[in-house]
Amino acid sequence: MAVVTLDKLSKQYGPTGPVVVDKVDLHIGDGEFMVLLGPSGCGKSTTLRMIAGLEEISSGKLSIGDRVVNQVPAKDRDIAMVFQSYALYPHMSVADNLAFGLRRRNFAAAEIERRVQDAANILGLTPLLTRKPSALSGGQRQRVALGRAMVREPMVFLFDEPLSNLDAALRVNTRSEIIKQHKRLGSTMIYVTHDQVEAMTMGTRICVMNAGRVAQIGAPLDVYWEPADTFVARFLGSPPMNLATAAVVAVDDSHVARSPSVETALTRWSPQVLGNLADQKVTIGVRAEDLHINKAALGGEPAGHVRGRTIAVEPLGAETLLLVEIESGVEWTARLPRHVPVAIDETVDLYFPANAVFVFDAMTGRAIIGEKRRDIRQ
Amino acid sequence: MAAMLAERAPLPRFFSRGALALVLGLYTIYTLGPFLWLATMSVRTTAEISADHYAWPKVFHWEQFRIAWVDSDFATYFWNSTIVVVGAVAVVTLLGAAAAHALARYRFRGNRLVYGILFSSIIFPPQITLISLYQILVDYNLYNSLLGLTLVYVSLQLPLTVYLLEGFFARIPQDLFDAAKIDGYGDLEIFRRIVLPIGMPAIATTLILNFIQLWNEFLFAVVLITDPDKRTLPVGIRAFMGDHFQDIGMIATGVMISVIPVIIVYIFFSEKLIRGMTAGAIK
Repeated sequence: MAVVTLDKLSKQYGPTGPVVVDKVDLHIGDGEFMVLLGPSGCGKSTTLRMIAGLEEISSGKLSIGDRVVNQVPAKDRDIAMVFQSYALYPHMSVADNLAFGLRRRNFAAAEIERRVQDAANILGLTPLLTRKPSALSGGQRQRVALGRAMVREPMVFLFDEPLSNLDAALRVNTRSEIIKQHKRLGSTMIYVTHDQVEAMTMGTRICVMNAGRVAQIGAPLDVYWEPADTFVARFLGSPPMNLATAAVVAVDDSHVARSPSVETALTRWSPQVLGNLADQKVTIGVRAEDLHINKAALGGEPAGHVRGRTIAVEPLGAETLLLVEIESGVEWTARLPRHVPVAIDETVDLYFPANAVFVFDAMTGRAIIGEKRRDIRQ
Repeated sequence: MAAMLAERAPLPRFFSRGALALVLGLYTIYTLGPFLWLATMSVRTTAEISADHYAWPKVFHWEQFRIAWVDSDFATYFWNSTIVVVGAVAVVTLLGAAAAHALARYRFRGNRLVYGILFSSIIFPPQITLISLYQILVDYNLYNSLLGLTLVYVSLQLPLTVYLLEGFFARIPQDLFDAAKIDGYGDLEIFRRIVLPIGMPAIATTLILNFIQLWNEFLFAVVLITDPDKRTLPVGIRAFMGDHFQDIGMIATGVMISVIPVIIVYIFFSEKLIRGMTAGAIK
């Protein structure tokens, strides 16, 4: 078990090459399950590989436990890693795959046997121990890969998109298996994924990365409900958060954000903040689940509203997605109850509670922090 | 194109199978026929062969093998060939595999340059290098020595070996190496415990090819060895062909003796050879 600290960790390929990881600061607590989340090419895998010792660190400091491990080779970092491709040794049986790392570390034969049996029992691999990886299904291979990390009893587990090659049902199973093992072992785990569902369900905290930098670090729901910028706002959430440019206008003694298609009261910000924003352009955001087609559903709250032309109705069974073009090139998506009485190419009004509105700086995209939403956080 | 033909499928299945069997049968007779003829000649005397070239042996003169082995110097030739070829194949396999692994796996300046130079040597016909190799061996006192011939054989077979193995090794996923690194293994151990076992089918392929090629090699052996005691098998067999008289029966016997190791090596490695040629799926 260990604390992992990244201090301005950077990766640059060659002295003039691209910077793929840019001064990442991250403190991962003992026993924490940290998810590195981001789109492909955001540097999350490179960051993980630097922690693993598979990629050289260009600059910055990496500590595992209480020692700096920049120059420590992968094998001496006391970590174990689970790969997306499983990376099982194809010429060895499952048992040998599990024992391979232990043999190198000169464990007694009896101890190796015990650990392999334990891991096999926990993961349901006992009947498969003599098989070669080629004779296993994808899910079984992933469990062997997980077992190979577990038998080592390392300080830190690293996962590099371990579920990407599994089909949807197995993915859910293996996800809960990993969560279960995290609870059982209490080890520090660092998990790379581009799948926000995995990030939301597994992580103690999420570190969202974008273009080699940390965009936001926080507990899953905090990141979801208080995104630091428009990138995080759109990356977390499916469908992504709806955004539109609007001007802040003073009306009587309050402020509203207004554009040709959107108008909403701004209730979560202090008069002082709003005063600074008055007559400026901002980006406002509303999550798809906060949009309603029926004003009455809001129970008389001060409401915002958006008007647009329907371009698609996507019934998903339990709910229906309604795509609306509010300005040319700007589409909003509403997540509505099953039955939506709207036809394509029809003008429609959607309503949202004023406290569901997010405001971002129109230039930088950074969130303008307001009072927390009372309806979701108590 | 192939898909179009398959779609039409004009022939009943048994008929196309039969045609395939016929072609294979004819091809087998075509290739195996001369070998069988040689085998029959190896147990007939030259006089019998002169009388009727294609006759089935009336008496099996097995003693011809003894005569070739004991009375002429076949045992020596066989031993010389074994030393040179086994030595050269062993070195080529190990060196070639190591070089192929390095070229396939490590990024270093000049990687592709080394690879290009090595591979470009394949295009030259061996006659071109013969004279310069002769001179080099003379300069280093390696002319007319088994060691010299072994070194030449190593250099002859190394490029193709590296080429074949590099292609195979490059397809081994990087994740396996990363996993082994994290499991605590160093570069040399990864080579021995991961690359060699996984690359075994490809290594077996090059091993058989190199063995057959070198076991039958004549040109360099006849030029670089003059001492009769140091002759290899192909050169030794040639010695039965005098200027005026050719002992066909003995030559056939000698060839049969020399073929045996090739067959043994092939049987031993052929399963892996076939896997090596059909491989590609490392998962």
